[in-house]
Amino acid sequence: MAGAAQAAPGRTAVLRKFRLGNLLFLNLTRAAAVLVLVLLGGVMLALIEGASPALREFGFGFITSQSWNPVTEKFGALAPVYGTIVTSLIAMLIAVPVGLGIAIFLTELCPTPLRRPIGIAIELLAGIPSIIYGIWGLFVFAPFLQTTVQPFLISVFGPIPLLNAVFAGPPYGIGILTAGLILAIMVLPFITSIARDVFSTVPPVLKEAAYGIGCTRWEVVKNVVLPFTRVGVIGGVMLGLGRALGETMAVTFVIGNAHKISASILAPGTTISATIANEFTEAVGDIYTSSLIALGLLLFVITFIVLAIARYMLLRLEMKGGK
Amino acid sequence: MNMTVAQSAAVSSARPTQPAGAKRQMPHVPENANEKISVRNLKFYYGDTLALKGISLPLYERKVTAFIGPSGCGKSTLLRILNRMYDLYPGQRADGEVLLDGENILSPKQDKNLLRSRVGMVFQKPTPFPMTIYDNIAFGVRLYEKLSKAEMDERVESSLRRAALWNEVKDKLHASGQSLSGGQQQRLCIARTVAIKPEVILLDEPCSALDPISTAKIEELIDELKAEYTIAIVTHNMQQAARCSEYTAFMYLGELVEFDETSRIFTTPSDQRTQDYITGRFG
Repeated sequence: MAGAAQAAPGRTAVLRKFRLGNLLFLNLTRAAAVLVLVLLGGVMLALIEGASPALREFGFGFITSQSWNPVTEKFGALAPVYGTIVTSLIAMLIAVPVGLGIAIFLTELCPTPLRRPIGIAIELLAGIPSIIYGIWGLFVFAPFLQTTVQPFLISVFGPIPLLNAVFAGPPYGIGILTAGLILAIMVLPFITSIARDVFSTVPPVLKEAAYGIGCTRWEVVKNVVLPFTRVGVIGGVMLGLGRALGETMAVTFVIGNAHKISASILAPGTTISATIANEFTEAVGDIYTSSLIALGLLLFVITFIVLAIARYMLLRLEMKGGK
Repeated sequence: MNMTVAQSAAVSSARPTQPAGAKRQMPHVPENANEKISVRNLKFYYGDTLALKGISLPLYERKVTAFIGPSGCGKSTLLRILNRMYDLYPGQRADGEVLLDGENILSPKQDKNLLRSRVGMVFQKPTPFPMTIYDNIAFGVRLYEKLSKAEMDERVESSLRRAALWNEVKDKLHASGQSLSGGQQQRLCIARTVAIKPEVILLDEPCSALDPISTAKIEELIDELKAEYTIAIVTHNMQQAARCSEYTAFMYLGELVEFDETSRIFTTPSDQRTQDYITGRFG
């Protein structure tokens, strides 16, 4: 203040304007940040409020029961929860290694002229609307699986105990496995493009140092590139997993929408989002509607748990890396 | 392998078969010094740009050779040829011969991983790997040798001792290598290079990011290492070149202007450009 008083009178006016601008800027950005919290809280509250009739009616049994009967108004979420987790797991099992493989190829091994075309193709894959994956999955991919891959799986794993239960039953084409495969294709570009971006942040001199002690490309990738970028890679994987858990349209097309849990991944099943998308128009009773909202709440909680696990893993990694 | 070397030597019979230095005006080739590396008429291209314009010089066994010259003169480029680091980048290629113990390392048959385990390199910026201090050293050793836990512990300790780092890190071997200070990181990188027992060590401005105390430690280290290794060091610090090296090469715009014993380069250089550079008149 003393400085301002001593300054020429022209300066005081300018300084006041600066202060005003600063204050405005601070409050605008703060408001934007608070808005996020308000929105999150609002969605959460609305979900809890909408779900409370169903949760009061069924209690904890809502999560453990797999009966979903609109006629008797008995609802349990186990089948969609199971379907959500298993389809996402299948998707990640396929998409993570393939996605990291593509990213490593693009950043470490790919001849320069090929780099751009492949990179663009990956990004285009991410741009395809999920409804297109859905109709393609239903009309092209599922019949293809039904006539080739699924009979093959059934005959190969048929004689093997345990595995024959996982790959049992008539080849419907649609089902848990098909949904998982479609999800894998859908999350692949996310994992790939994030992994590629973080791989290219590894300082060239660090890689040179590793080559300089006689490492092969594989050893450089395994011991230098991946450890250096693990935080970013896990972030990319989690983003992909988040998309797989919540993906609705394509999954609804190909999963079969059956409210039952079977050991076979060839059998039809359902996921949380597919159930909601399929049934919200016909949910007439209060308990029915409330049960669907409770499903939404569950999806919210599952996503939250996944993110929490990811954070925990990162924390553990950082402790181990000793930084 | 020997046949091909002999053949290529026969093809290049126009060039001196004597140590490259002997025929040029390089008077003092010591009797007891072997040429560990002989660079012969080496040209290097970045794409279409000619970065090294036909360089020939020897690196004598168990001697320190310093490369000086203004930025962009090709010193680091030359160093990166000696372990074929340039191979990682498309569009860069080398012509000519670089003989390591008589074998041309530029030949396509040369195993690059083996070469790089024989010719170690320390970079301008410290490059600790994203792992613990212990693993930073053990990692490179494990690539080529199967050691028991006790042998490995011993190798790690002796390497760290050689790099004058042991006393500072012995209580935190399992902390991240990246948690060390800049000077310590650079000594860790030297320890890592020494641990895999190379024959030649290339130092690319190893002290340019370090404070004077760390620099002094590394210079002492170079002095000790030359008893066992052939060392090439690129430096912008003229005093450093004068202090640590036996031989000095002055390079300018991709050419080798002068190569001689360090004492001669710094007292009675034969080329005017060398004279100008070491007295600070250009560069």
